[in-house]
Amino acid sequence: MRRYVQTPGSIGEFSELALRQRAEPLDLVYVGYGLLVVAVVVASYMLGAFGWLPDDPQAMNVGLINAAPFTSGHVLGTDFLGRDLQARLILGIQAYFLPGLLAITISVVGGSILGILAGYRGGWFDTIITYFDNLLDSFPRLVLILLVIAAFKADIYYVMVVVGITGMPVIANLIAGKIAFLRQKSFVEAAHALGLPAHTVILKHILWLNCRALLVIQATLGMAEAILVETSLSYLGFGVQEPTPSWGNMVQAGANYFLQGNFWPSTAPALAILATILGFQLLGDGLNNLLEGKRRR
Amino acid sequence: MDAPLLAIENLRTYFYSRAKRAFIRSVDGVSLEVARGETLGIVGESGSGKSVTALSAAGLVTAGPGVISGRIDLYSNGARRNLLDGLENYARIRERDGRVMEVEKDERGWRKRSETLMAGVRGKEIAMIFQNPRSALNPYSTIGKQLMETIRLHTKLKGESEAKERAIHWLERVRIDSPRLRFDNFPFGMSGGMCQRAMIAMALSAEPSLLIADEPTTGLDVTIQSRIVDLLAQLKAETGITTLLISHDISVIQRLSDRIAVMYGGTVVETGRAAEVLAPEAKVRHPYTTALLASIPSAETIRRKSYLQAIEGEVLDTIEVPRGCRFYGRCNRVTEAIRENCAGSEPPLGEVATGHKVRCWLYPATGKA
Repeated sequence: MRRYVQTPGSIGEFSELALRQRAEPLDLVYVGYGLLVVAVVVASYMLGAFGWLPDDPQAMNVGLINAAPFTSGHVLGTDFLGRDLQARLILGIQAYFLPGLLAITISVVGGSILGILAGYRGGWFDTIITYFDNLLDSFPRLVLILLVIAAFKADIYYVMVVVGITGMPVIANLIAGKIAFLRQKSFVEAAHALGLPAHTVILKHILWLNCRALLVIQATLGMAEAILVETSLSYLGFGVQEPTPSWGNMVQAGANYFLQGNFWPSTAPALAILATILGFQLLGDGLNNLLEGKRRR
Repeated sequence: MDAPLLAIENLRTYFYSRAKRAFIRSVDGVSLEVARGETLGIVGESGSGKSVTALSAAGLVTAGPGVISGRIDLYSNGARRNLLDGLENYARIRERDGRVMEVEKDERGWRKRSETLMAGVRGKEIAMIFQNPRSALNPYSTIGKQLMETIRLHTKLKGESEAKERAIHWLERVRIDSPRLRFDNFPFGMSGGMCQRAMIAMALSAEPSLLIADEPTTGLDVTIQSRIVDLLAQLKAETGITTLLISHDISVIQRLSDRIAVMYGGTVVETGRAAEVLAPEAKVRHPYTTALLASIPSAETIRRKSYLQAIEGEVLDTIEVPRGCRFYGRCNRVTEAIRENCAGSEPPLGEVATGHKVRCWLYPATGKA
């Protein structure tokens, strides 16, 4: 049997919630999981930054190599030099956290500026950004990064600058599109007519009020990208070098012992990478669905 | 006429058609005066240049060649200031036989100069409301916040709470019911009429001396239209604000205006007191005004079961403006006696009665002028 119930409420008043599409439960799950991952990553970064680690990440113990989880106080076991895996995993976040923030800052700030120029000025700015975008698309990002490493040095911050710059066109395009859409609505013109200064209109009314959701989403996806790049490079040996731990070089170091039956030292960081990137991606997707895709106008 | 608040003199605002490599002469030599406290209604078809005139006055035309010559004087605080002052230095115009052939414009310098001239004027002295009010409000901010922003920008009320009080006061004044609740509404939660009321509140909250209402009722339901017109009339009576009203809807113009300017093809073809220009028995009238009046439905036409008359022909292409009268091609009152004049040269705006001017060769006063 089915029940039909009238929501109590004053008749004739619009309910704002009713005007927005009801949230999809799946999106809420995505966002929930994503926020959990972000919380864990930030908390772990803090632990690593202040040195509050469960064990000394550099202390070797030759007598306890590639130990399984929960052996003599090592919750996640030890690696091939007998170092505590849990402590190294937590410390590994240092390898990508600040560099990742740098990358997304560059792509969000640069992308916004380019997007505003393209959307507002149009003309050849628009053309340049399109060409820039095509150029980057036709060039494998990893090759570009390796090129930079070869030309300068194997510093993760250099790499992240490249990641940030290559992330700019996507954001620029989205913002330019948004501005083109907003310009059909006359509120930009109306705001000018009401005497609001141009920077207020651009920064507050367009960027902050209308594009902030888009920027948060792109920043989240950008962070996932940055983590992926950092771990891949470290895995290949171009990123963070031993003995400083990174999830990438941990997977690489552990892989040598994988076929000897010690799968854990490489699987633990690999799972951490998977869970974290998945978290950031799902957070971005979920937010996109909740904030952007389905909002009614 | 009383002291003017805004005087537009020989304004020319052109755009450029890349496809045709020609200037679009949207506003081509318009002179208007708005006296303090009066409502001047500008009426005309789409493309007649009425909106562009208003946008030029508000300094909002930035694309293309834009405003290329003229004066726009704003009289405020006992001083006169030309809102186009010095802009001519940023545009070099080459003319041949009175036709603009080439415009070289330093867009950046022009824009900068214009911004300097309009600082403290736009929004503060001259406020504007638009058609499609829903899209004229930022969809991601509540109307209360948007209203507070203009109040804090333009009045001495800078504090959060006093600005909020004033915002609610203005929402009340534009007859929005339960303003305290509406304060937190987003534009999408409100009807079009409600949004227009909020827009009017935003425009008036700065206590401007001139309100430009650019098609304020277009895009609203018919019943809402008449309510907005009522509201504008009430606010006018309460505040006595000078208004430049632009509409293609002659009934809106009729209800709100003290004086009327009829525009056609980028020029003013007739101007005078509303009662005089629109009087049913008026003897002297521009043929275009006659045609406009015949094309609106009224109780009279319905009772007489007569047909509405569409204006023959097409709206004037303001790219290839003819040498003679702009309305010549569509005019049904050309007589043999004046045909040569009509086709050959543009009639001046001649005074046919005190304050009533018509741009037509039919009226002898024109010839004398």
